[in-house]
Amino acid sequence: MTASLTISLKRVNKIYHEGEIIAGVVIVDTAADLRHEGLTLTMEGSVNLQISSKNAGIFDAFSNNIRPINLINTSIELAAAGKMPIGVTEIPFEMPLVGRQSSMSLGLLETYHGVFVNVMYTLKCSMKRSFLNKPLNASCQFFVQYKQQERPPSKPVRCEVSPATLRAGGGAGAARGTVPHFQLYAEIDSTVCALDRPITGKIRVDECSVAIKSIELQLVRVETCGSAEGYSKDATEVQNIQVCEGDVRRARPVPLHLVLPRLFTCPTTATPYFKIEFELNIAVIFEDDYLVTENFPILLLRSK
Amino acid sequence: MPTYYKWCSVKKEKQKHEYPSLEVTNHPLRVEVHNLKHNSNKSLLKSLQKWSSSFEELDPLLRFEQMDLENNSEPTIESDATVNYSKIWSVKRTAILNKYTTGEKLTIISSYLPGGEKISSFSALLRQVSNLNEKVKHRLEQLDDFDESSVRKTMGLSQQEFVTKIHMLDDEIKKAWETEQRVKAFKIAIQCSKLLSDISVMQFYPSKFVLISDVLDNFGKLVYDRLKKKSFGDAAIELEDIDSGLVPESARETCQNWMFKMASIRELLPRLYMEMSLLKCYVFISKDEIKPAIARLITMIRGIGNPLVAIYIRVYLCKVASALYGKESECYFHDNLKEFLEEYQQIFQPAMAKKFGAQLLTADKYLSLYIPAIDWLLYGTLNTIPCKLTLLDELLQLCDKTENSELLLYCIVSGFDSPNIIKKSSAILDTIKKSAEHMVLLSPILSALGEHLCHADVYRQLSSEALSQTWWKIVSNMKSTANFLQVLEPWIQFACTQLSAQHINMLLRGTIRYMIKCGKPIDDYSSQIQLVVKRMLKSIPDVEELFLMDAFMPLVELVQTSNARTMMAKTVLLVFFERCNSVQIEDHIIIASLMRLCCILHEAINAVTVEDELKISSDLINKYIQTVSYQDDAREQLNFYVECRSAFIKLDSVLKTLVHAVHALANRARPSRSRWLSRACAAYSFVTVPSLQCALCRAQLYLLGAHAALLVACVGQAEANLKAFVSLIPDIPLYVQEDGQNKPTHVKVVGLLSNFLSTLLILPDNVDSSSKAYILSGFIKTMERIHWRKTDPLYYTLLLRTLDLLCNLTQEKYIYHIDGVISNDELYGSEEEFIDVLENYATNICQELLVVLKALGDAKETNKQYNLALELFWRIIKRGDLREGSMTSLAINLWVLSQKLQDSNNKFAKTLLSALERDTSEEGRLLFDKLNET
Repeated sequence: MTASLTISLKRVNKIYHEGEIIAGVVIVDTAADLRHEGLTLTMEGSVNLQISSKNAGIFDAFSNNIRPINLINTSIELAAAGKMPIGVTEIPFEMPLVGRQSSMSLGLLETYHGVFVNVMYTLKCSMKRSFLNKPLNASCQFFVQYKQQERPPSKPVRCEVSPATLRAGGGAGAARGTVPHFQLYAEIDSTVCALDRPITGKIRVDECSVAIKSIELQLVRVETCGSAEGYSKDATEVQNIQVCEGDVRRARPVPLHLVLPRLFTCPTTATPYFKIEFELNIAVIFEDDYLVTENFPILLLRSK
Repeated sequence: MPTYYKWCSVKKEKQKHEYPSLEVTNHPLRVEVHNLKHNSNKSLLKSLQKWSSSFEELDPLLRFEQMDLENNSEPTIESDATVNYSKIWSVKRTAILNKYTTGEKLTIISSYLPGGEKISSFSALLRQVSNLNEKVKHRLEQLDDFDESSVRKTMGLSQQEFVTKIHMLDDEIKKAWETEQRVKAFKIAIQCSKLLSDISVMQFYPSKFVLISDVLDNFGKLVYDRLKKKSFGDAAIELEDIDSGLVPESARETCQNWMFKMASIRELLPRLYMEMSLLKCYVFISKDEIKPAIARLITMIRGIGNPLVAIYIRVYLCKVASALYGKESECYFHDNLKEFLEEYQQIFQPAMAKKFGAQLLTADKYLSLYIPAIDWLLYGTLNTIPCKLTLLDELLQLCDKTENSELLLYCIVSGFDSPNIIKKSSAILDTIKKSAEHMVLLSPILSALGEHLCHADVYRQLSSEALSQTWWKIVSNMKSTANFLQVLEPWIQFACTQLSAQHINMLLRGTIRYMIKCGKPIDDYSSQIQLVVKRMLKSIPDVEELFLMDAFMPLVELVQTSNARTMMAKTVLLVFFERCNSVQIEDHIIIASLMRLCCILHEAINAVTVEDELKISSDLINKYIQTVSYQDDAREQLNFYVECRSAFIKLDSVLKTLVHAVHALANRARPSRSRWLSRACAAYSFVTVPSLQCALCRAQLYLLGAHAALLVACVGQAEANLKAFVSLIPDIPLYVQEDGQNKPTHVKVVGLLSNFLSTLLILPDNVDSSSKAYILSGFIKTMERIHWRKTDPLYYTLLLRTLDLLCNLTQEKYIYHIDGVISNDELYGSEEEFIDVLENYATNICQELLVVLKALGDAKETNKQYNLALELFWRIIKRGDLREGSMTSLAINLWVLSQKLQDSNNKFAKTLLSALERDTSEEGRLLFDKLNET
């Protein structure tokens, strides 16, 4: 006597905007008539924060996990206690996606998977049954996105990198005291970027006395958790892609092209409890593993 | 059945020709040699070749080659209209796989192949996450060991093993795909494309690229097909017809997922390769994205520092684009070519030089790795450009300006079409001249240029001479003899088609000088010299002219070892006879040169020479003998034949040809010459024949000699020939070797002996000898001496034929004569004694035939017995004298015997009977009645 419970959303990509109605069906598939004590559907959304182990010492007062911040929590009853007929039963549902209306509320944030900050939305369906049987459960994630804003004016940024522009003591090679001679030019078309568009730009090696091993473009998230008393700030890598491999021809612009990954990025966010920011690093690795990086803070937006 | 029947031949009174005859101008059997030799009849020749080719079993390797050639010729036909890039690619693909091979050990890194040592995939990760402490690191590494997808490195693979492994990966992708493990398939594809960043065995790189690009193609197809199925079900819908707007949300979502996965590949090269393999799939998101994506990829490839890796990824991009857009994709070829030209100097980086040096590659080998790739880019580019000449101009200027332009120059020369290259040939040659000393690709460039020039229209003008002089200046300074000869080959063809004989001769002299000066054993280059000579022979308008140059024969005889010399002689003769238009060669210089070559061929023959070799050599020498002509000077001609006989004594077939040629000579000269020539010729043949190996051939030639002697009324000579012939009969073997098989001779023997018997009818008897019908009696005695099997059809057929001859010999006037020869009918005038001798023989033979009949009966050969009985019966009623009782009774007995064996409804028997019925003579009637009674 087996029975299964699944949630199927109408929208294939499971992306919803605030104010929209989440529609779908709960599918009950049972091999025999199924008696139950009621079928409920719950929509939950929360922010999970975590303090990095590095900074844990400062916050002795808390445990590593800070209590999750609830963004949304509504539930409806799909079916009253009764009996499910044998076979497949589809129960359609509709739920409006509206955030909590309170002064402390953050509103609905975009779904985001980070290291220390996670914003998640789930639909949970549960079927209570007589006390001898375990309740049947099913859950399904869905994603929330902001509505698209108007596109902001692009803010291009240019920079030149040479031994002279390096911060003293920045790299490991500086200790060796043998900084090769080089002259790089990098350009990012805009530091204000739309999430579903690639970040573009170009890089040019004008001069370099040693061979280049690789030039990489690194997307870094900077997550800050905490409150007025103290906070932890951690930068971790989201994605690292290579734009040049091997010793490239000098004085030729090589395009930068970075597609922002879904889920792992979200619009740059700042709330009283946490902040999510993004940065871009251009790293040039020379043949002897000497590393030069240039950092660009960027602003991510949900825009057209 | 009485055991003895006396044979009496009937004398036919009214001997008259009853056969219809008509006058003709041509001999019906004359061979039309002239037609075959003329060029105008090419089609006939071709059709003949076609016929003969179907009989010859083609060497399987040769057949493959021909198939390849056929394949190769196809694209060139199509290139005018729409270009089928995928077809051309497949041709190039095969060419690359065949050309770039290696004996080096290869390495493959993959997590999906069994075996191999593990390498930690964490080294890359560890660098990124540097804040992990040692303990965690160690634990992660341990975890990694358990992970089934840990990366393994398999080293020391041979090329074949490597290919197998790649195919295994390809299968693995398909398997994973079918079992819904799509991410695994994706990972394998990525690992495959990563292999392309490894240039450790460079000379295999182009082939490796081809193999892996196939894998990627297959992967791209899997993804595309699945998305298509998701969107449109099983409907057969072409790429062009897909409307992005109609793609359902789910398919679009899946496609987008693929793209996101692809975009997050860390390393550049796999990311580019994967995007290219998935390029088609953009159609499910938006058709408009493909072209910008291609343009973006073109520039992103700039990030690949290694020039070899970079150009091959460009090749792949063009290949993918051409598969998508066909004709429209040609602009991408051009863009890629432009990008490549910008990066051109990367190829000559010192770092690359170090790398290929470490792999023991020579510079020219290294550069040749780029050639197929540049060819491909140039090929597509050339199809877009409306004015090729301007592009050629631009590129040549670029070559002039840049350093190390040789690779580009080579690709230009080989890539462009002949007319344009010919227009610019002097400019190209100037460019080459400027930097000829450091060019490693000098000889390929020059030979490619030469090949183009070979296609030039025929015009004799100054520029050709100037061109050839410049060329010679460059070439004569070349260090490598092999390269020199390689270049010489096309250029000599150019010279042969464009320049005067003096010029060619000068070049040949120069070549000889170069070869002698180079100080290396010339025999090492014999095959190359052979190619040069062959090229010359094939291209010069008049082959005979070549032999008149004083430097030609020395060049041919430059090689010294006997093997090389033979090969050379054979090649020259083969091509010469192929090209030689005239039926006859009259020039003494040419005759002498050819004689020299034939002698070389002959000298090489020894006991271990294989039969095919012998056949080829003798065919060539035969051709030579047949074509040499001294016109009316018969003495010279005969001398020539004498000389040939002494020169080519080892070859039976040549001797045979000589004998035939001599007979022909005698015959040709007959009306006008005095008799000395015919005598000399007859003597020649009589002396020559005994030196032949094969008894059958000897017999044939003796008979031929007898015929020829009879024709010129040399009775003594004819008799000698026939006597020799008769004495040869016991020696004729039962089987002869022919094409490696034992073939029975008896059909030939029957023909030969029948011919001989017919000849005897004309031959006047030797009056000096004691016995009548001297030769014939000799023949009969010989027949008795040989221990034939009685039931052998050969034996009794011969007996029947002899019986025929004997009957004819008894006639008062023979049925044919030769003018000037007094045959036995006139000689004896049906003398009693002579007739008696003949009748006696006939009786004996008839007796023998009856013995045979009995033997056949004993052996239960009913069919044969029946036929023989009827045959004999026929001879009796036709040739026998039926007035004689013995003849009639024999006839009746035979008939009865035949009826006993088979009923009279047999066709043969019926015909005989009806013929007898029509017989008006009294005896015939009588016999017919008697037969009917029985």
